Parts: sequence; C-alpha cells; structure tokens
Amino acid sequence: MKLYIKTLKMHIKATLEYKASFIISFLSQILVFFSYYFIILSLFDKFGNIKGFTLYEVLLCFSIIQFGFSFCETFIRGIDQFDKLIIKGDFDRLLIRPQNILIQVICYDLDLVKMSRLVQSLIVLVIALINLNIEWTILKLLTLILMLLSAIAIFFGIFLLAAAFCFLTVQGLEVRNLFTDGGKHIAQYPIGVFNKGFVLFFTVIIPYAFVNYYPLLYVLGKSNNTFYVLTPLIVFIYLIPCFIIFNKGAKRYQSVGN
Amino acid sequence: MSFIEVNNISKTFKVSVRQSGLKNAVKSFFKRNYKYVEAVKDISFKVEKGEIVGYIGPNGAGKSTTIKILSGILIPSSGTCKINKMTPWEHRKEYVKKIGVVFGQRSQLWWDIPAEDTFDLLKDVYDINEEEYQKTKKDLIEKLNLKDIIHMPVRQLSLGQRMRCEIAASLLHSPEILFLDEPTIGLDATSKKIVREFVKKINKEKKVTVILTTHDMSDIEALAKRIILIGKGRILYDGYLRKLKNKYDNNKYINIITNDKLTIKHKGIISKEKTKDGYNIIIDSKIINLSDFLNLISKKIKIEDVEVENENIDNIIVSLYKEYEI
Repeated sequence: MKLYIKTLKMHIKATLEYKASFIISFLSQILVFFSYYFIILSLFDKFGNIKGFTLYEVLLCFSIIQFGFSFCETFIRGIDQFDKLIIKGDFDRLLIRPQNILIQVICYDLDLVKMSRLVQSLIVLVIALINLNIEWTILKLLTLILMLLSAIAIFFGIFLLAAAFCFLTVQGLEVRNLFTDGGKHIAQYPIGVFNKGFVLFFTVIIPYAFVNYYPLLYVLGKSNNTFYVLTPLIVFIYLIPCFIIFNKGAKRYQSVGN
Repeated sequence: MSFIEVNNISKTFKVSVRQSGLKNAVKSFFKRNYKYVEAVKDISFKVEKGEIVGYIGPNGAGKSTTIKILSGILIPSSGTCKINKMTPWEHRKEYVKKIGVVFGQRSQLWWDIPAEDTFDLLKDVYDINEEEYQKTKKDLIEKLNLKDIIHMPVRQLSLGQRMRCEIAASLLHSPEILFLDEPTIGLDATSKKIVREFVKKINKEKKVTVILTTHDMSDIEALAKRIILIGKGRILYDGYLRKLKNKYDNNKYINIITNDKLTIKHKGIISKEKTKDGYNIIIDSKIINLSDFLNLISKKIKIEDVEVENENIDNIIVSLYKEYEI
C-alpha cells in the first residue's frame, strides 16, 4: 500500500509536467461524460419512465456504474493498459522486482484525467439521491455503500480477465470492450428493463445485476427482500477466479516467453 | 559448489511463421503455422563469486534468453540453474533482491521526472533501510558522477547520462550479481569509459559478480578475463580471452585492392574472400610470413593498394563465427 501511494505521487508529478495537455484532456472528459448524461435526460424527456423506472432512479443506477468504472480507470489503470506493458517488454522488469506482480501492474499506470469522470459520477449520484424520496434506513445506506464497492470490484475483475487474455494473445482483445464498455452501457440502466436473456447473462456470466439491479430494487423500496442487501457481495466472490486466472497467466508467460 | 551453476539448460519457443504481405497476414489470422525454435540448447557453465564474465555472440544467438533465465524472467524448458543456492524462477521474490539487471535497450527510469525520484521509489520497492540507502546513493552519485544530472527530468538527459543513471538504479539495493545486457550500446567514448571503469571498480571493491553481454569487443577487452561465446543457442567457447587471442595471434588480415583476378593456393592461407574492389585474405604468419606472401601475390597481380591488420578481438570473433558457421 505504501508503495502504491508512493507511485501515485510519482504519477501525479509526471502528469503535471504537461499542464496544458492535462487541462485539455480533463475538459474533454467532462464533455464526454455529459453527453452520456444528456442522452439519458433526453430519453426521459420523451418517455417519462422506462418500465416503471423514473429518471432519477435510472440516474442513480447510471452514476454507480460510472463511479466503479471511472474509479478503476483512474486508480488501477495499469491493469487496463496491460497489453502495452507486455508489448513494450516492461513486464520483464516487473518480474525482477521483489514485489507482488499484480501490485506492480496496478502501479504501472495512473490516469488522472479520468478523475474528472469520477467526480462527475459522484455529482450525478448526489443529484439523484436528492431528487429521490428514499426513506433511509441503515440497511439501505449499507446497501448503497456495498453497491459502490461492488461496482469497483466488478470492473477490477473484468480488467483482470482482459489482462490475463493478453498473456495468450499479447494484444488486448476487443472482446474486453464488449464486457467493459458494452456491459457498462447496459448496466447504466436497471437491468430489469431488458429482456430475460439479458438479465440472465448479466446475472450469471458477468454479475452486473448484483451491482446495481437487485440491490437497487431494495434501496428504491421496490422490493423488501433483505437478501438483496447482500447481493453485491457475490461480486467479490466472482473476483477470486479472476485473480487465479491472472496469476496462471503470469506463470505461463514465464514458461512460454514473449 | 560454485556461485552460479547452470546445467543443461534448454529453452524452446513456439513462434508463429507467416510470410509478408496483407494476403498472408489475413491468412495467418485464421490459420497460424507454428514452428519451434530452440533459443538455447543444453547450456552449462559455472561462475565463481567476484568474476566478470563476458557473454558474447551474434544477434539472435540466445544471449538475452540466457540472461532472462538467469534473472528469473523466463523458465527454461529443461535443465537446472542454481545461483547462490537459489533457483531464480522458483524463489523469485527472494532471489531478485540479490541481483541487479541493466537492459541497455530499455529504461527503468521514469521518463518525465528526475532520476532521483525513481531512486526513491526503488528504495521502497526493494525495502532498503534509510541509512543504507543514503549511503549507497551517495556512493553511486560520486562514482558515476551523477551530481548534476540526477535532478533533471530523465527525458532531458543524453543517452550516456541516462545509462549512468540506469546503472545506479540497478545497484541501489547492493546486489551480489549484476547482469549487464549491452550496457554501452550507442554510447560515446567518454561515457563508455566511465561505465567500464565503474563496473571494474564495483567488482573489485564490493566483489560484485558481473555477467556482461555486448557486441562491443572493447568492452570485453577492458573488463572480462573470461568469455563465454554462444552461437545458435550453443556454447562454443568458454575460457580465457587471452588464450583465444594467442591461438589467433599469428593471423594477419590483408586487404588488397586490385583489378586483377587472383588465384592462389598456398599453405598458411586461412581464407580468401572477394570484395568489391579486391580481396580480403587471412594468413597465418607462422606458416607463411607476410613479406613472402606479398612477394608471391605481387608476381601474380598488380596491387594498387594493400592494408595489413593485426589480429584484434573483433576479427577473432568474426573468424570464430566463420569457423563454427554461425
């Protein structure tokens, strides 16, 4: 952890070397984010609600997923950029350091620019919460916190799997984007609005539904099933095989070579 | 037991083969042809503590593969390797604390910030205690003359300055073994000299074992008494550099410029090669002395110019490569 914080400082230092570029990218990220935001706004302007979900309910869902994704893109960017690490041969360097490989990979890159999205997703979260009349209980608050954490966990897991693929194919696969970007866009909406097949896929294969559908129902008072409070925890179980696969990949790299 | 013991190490890579051109690229996208390449075959050697060993060979001979196996980055297909009683790829975390690796073609320094920041980070990576770190750092700054460059962003440094910082970065944790993979590549004469003298110094003072790969034979001459020559994945020669030199010491390299055609057969002529405007000939001056040889050919052809070169290490290597047909 000490090591991570220290690298974080180094990345900040390095980023600040290029002030203008940083400011421009930061601003452009804000525009990108708001384009997503306005799509949802204009959608609801026309339809009022989607399958019983109102604008602010969807925004809550949207902000949680965006939060998890931006968090991972900012702070564990190294895993996202893993294909570069392999291609440039920098992975060799990590193997001759007396530290855990995954931690070093995480430390490899940090994208401060994506921080702007993180801040915005939190702003949208607050806007949604203010406009929703939720009767808060401790359990509901706990659910919300678990949702935020599991949103981070799920993208962590997906990034890890994508990285493990790089050991096999060297270059990152477009398949990954199907799960991250594609999945992200779908999970921005309460998954229940889609058909059954989708729900099943995003429950069992990639457990987006446990991040922001089942617990969402509980927070919004659409369901009284207290089991839903704990569903975000399932995502953390899903992380275990991701870690194992990544470590297997690293071992394989050593015996196969580059 | 020796400090480094490498026994019968082999490493096979699976590489995909494809022809050039877009059509073939598309074809290989659907069906890949693989072939197995043996990067190193049955390599064995021993190195004692405090030795400097030059590890040389042409491009693609398996030098880097060997270095990667010895530093624990790759696991060999077969064979064993014990360094300081550890197997590099099995005791990775423990083992790498004892080694330093410099890849001449790759940087470990952070590009946009001063080298000193990278050093500070490495202190935490290697868990060096503060007192020891300050001492080692001061020592390295002095020996490598880094005082003025350590506070500049690395991207503003010249190649020579950067390489000096790289070497310092690899030695902060006072390793017992230093692997230098082409440390002087692209450096000017002064920087080369600084690097060489520094390597000599730490070898002498701290008994650091050094394994050095290079294409620059003057590196080897300046540093290593012992060389290991590798070609096509096999060890071709392992022994003193001087012995190798003595063996070839009587060879003379003669470059003749002429328009005539030369046919000559005589004892003592090792090789004859046609060049654009003449011939390159190697003779063994113990069997045929130089003046006799020149006499002989001047009767046959009109020599426009002639240049005679004594044996040097570069030529030895070239003739060794020829001898082994690599």
